[in-house]
Amino acid sequence: MKPVEAEGLVRTFGDVAAVAGIDLEVAEGEIFGFLGPNGAGKSTTVRMLVTLLRPTAGRARVAGFDVVKDADAVRRVIGVALQDAAIDPLMTGAELLRLQAVLHGLGRRRAADRGSELLERVGLTGAAGRRVGTYSGGMRRRLDLALALIHRPEVLFLDEPTTGLDPTSRVAVWEEVRSLNDDGTTVFLTTQYLEEADELAGRIAIIDNGVIVKQGDPTVLKGQVGDPTLRVEVADGTAIESARQVLGAFGDQRPARDGRVAIGLKGGAGRLADVVRALDDHGVPVAHFELDSPSLDDVFADATGRRLEGSET
Amino acid sequence: MTAAQGLRLTDPRRSRPRLLVGSEQAWTLTVRSILATARKTDRWAPGLIFPLAMAAVYSSQFARATGLSEFPEVDSFLQFILPATILQGIAFNASNAGTDMATDIETGFFDRLVASPVARQSIFVGRVGGAAAAAGFQAGVHTAIFVVLGVPIASGFAGVAALMLISIVLSVGISGFGLAVALRTGSSEATQSMFPLVFVMVFVSSAFFPTELMRGWYQWVAERNPFTLVVDPTRRLVISGWSWVDLFEALGYSLLIALLSLSLAYRAHLRRMRRS
Repeated sequence: MKPVEAEGLVRTFGDVAAVAGIDLEVAEGEIFGFLGPNGAGKSTTVRMLVTLLRPTAGRARVAGFDVVKDADAVRRVIGVALQDAAIDPLMTGAELLRLQAVLHGLGRRRAADRGSELLERVGLTGAAGRRVGTYSGGMRRRLDLALALIHRPEVLFLDEPTTGLDPTSRVAVWEEVRSLNDDGTTVFLTTQYLEEADELAGRIAIIDNGVIVKQGDPTVLKGQVGDPTLRVEVADGTAIESARQVLGAFGDQRPARDGRVAIGLKGGAGRLADVVRALDDHGVPVAHFELDSPSLDDVFADATGRRLEGSET
Repeated sequence: MTAAQGLRLTDPRRSRPRLLVGSEQAWTLTVRSILATARKTDRWAPGLIFPLAMAAVYSSQFARATGLSEFPEVDSFLQFILPATILQGIAFNASNAGTDMATDIETGFFDRLVASPVARQSIFVGRVGGAAAAAGFQAGVHTAIFVVLGVPIASGFAGVAALMLISIVLSVGISGFGLAVALRTGSSEATQSMFPLVFVMVFVSSAFFPTELMRGWYQWVAERNPFTLVVDPTRRLVISGWSWVDLFEALGYSLLIALLSLSLAYRAHLRRMRRS
C-alpha cells in the first residue's frame, strides 16, 4: 500500500482542465516534491488528494483509502497545511490546537498533552496564549504545521508551505519538515521554489499545464539533462594546452573565457577527484575549480522548453 | 510500520463514539463563535447599543402615540418597544453568523474544517450556536436595562426567560438565512448585503408600531410579515402577562423560520460540497 497513489487523475472547471490526467506514486517515508509554476495544477491536485475537490475522472488513494469513496477515512489519516495558513486571527495558538484536536476526535487529555508537545516542537510555547493575529508570518506557518500534526498523520500534505516567508523562516520550516520526515512521516510537498524541492525532496514530479512532465529522483533528473560543466583556471598560462589535453579525457570541451578550460564532465561530480589527480600527475597548476551542475530549472526547461517563473536557483 | 503510524492518535477503524465526538466538535465550534464575538467590539457593540439608541429615540418621539385608541394598553412606549429592541439585537448578531461563515470560506478556514473528519452538522451548529448564545445573552441584557429604566415585565421572571428563549430560536432562524447566502456565494460582501433586507423586514413589521395604526399596503405587508407573527405574542408576554399560548405561538413561528432557513442553508452546504 502506497501512501499516495493516483491514476489518470483529472479535474476540469468548465472547459478548462486544471489537471489533465496525472499518475503518481509516493513511497512510504519519503518527501515527495510536487513542483510547478503558478497555475500548473499543483493545488488542484492536492485539493483532490485531501478530499476538498472531487476528481472529474481517474482515481486516487491515500494511505490505502479512496479519496472519493472513503473520504472520511482519508481525512482521519492525513495532515493538511494549505496555502496561506488559514488560521483564525482571533484565537490563540493553544486554542487553535485544542480545536484541531477536537476536529480529529481526540479526547481532552490527549489533546492537551499533544498540543503542549507540538507547541514546544515548533518553538511557540511562549506565544501559545497570544492571539494568532499578532503572530509573524513564520510563526503562523509553524503553527499551521503543528495543527496539521495534531493527530500524528500518516501522510502530511504541505501546499507551498514557505510562500511569502523570509529566508530565515523558510529555513526553519524546512528543518521542521526534515525532522518530521526523520520521524517517519510521509510528506507530499507542493512548491514553486526549485531550491525548496532540491533541499527537501527525495523524489519530485514536475507539473505543467495539468500534466506531469518529469518525475523521479532530482539528482537523476538533473543528470539526464546533461553533464555538469567543469571550469578549470590554470595558474600558469603556459600550461593551458596541457590542461586541455588532460581534461579532454574526461569530457567534451565547452566554450570558456581566456585562461580557463571548460568541459562537460562525464559521470558528474563523482569524477572530480580523478580530474584533480590527473591534472596533478601532469604537473598542471590549478588556480580555481568550478563545477556547475544542471539545476531543476534546467530539468523544467528541458521538459517544457521554458524557464520556471520565479525560480530561485 | 513507520514511527508515525505507530504513534497515530486516531485510526479510522478505532474511533471514539460518533455522537460523543460530534457533540464535542459542535460545542468547541460554538465556543469559537462566542469567543470571536466577545473578542471583537465591532461584533457585539452594534447589536447592543444601536437598538437601545433606537429605543431611546422612538420612546421620546412617539410616547404620545400610546394614547391613541388603536394602541394597546401599555405602561409606556418603552414597554411596547422592548420586543423591537430585542429583535434588532438578534438581527445584528445573526448577521455575524453568516458573515463569519463567508469569511471562513474566503480565508480557507472552512477548508481546514472540511479537510478534517469533523461531523458536517457541527460546522452549522457551531456558527448558529454562537449567534444563538449571543442573542440570548443580549436579550437578557436589553431586558435588564429596560427593567432598570422602570419598564415592568408583566409576565415576571418566567417572561424574561421566555424572551431569552424566543430570542435564541429566532436568532437560529435569521442566522440560517445568512449561512445559506454565505455557503451559496462564499462571499462576505454578498452575505452582508443581505442584512439590510432583514432590517427592512423589522421596520415593516409590528416591531415599532401596532399594525392597527398602519394603513394600506404597509399594513397588509406588516400583518403577513413573519416578524410580526413572532413580535405580537412576545409583546403580549411583556405587557399583558404570562400566557402559554403566546409563548408557543412566538416559539412556533420562530421554529418555522428556523426550519426554513436551516434547510436552505443545508441545501447550500450540499451544493457547495457537490460543486467541490
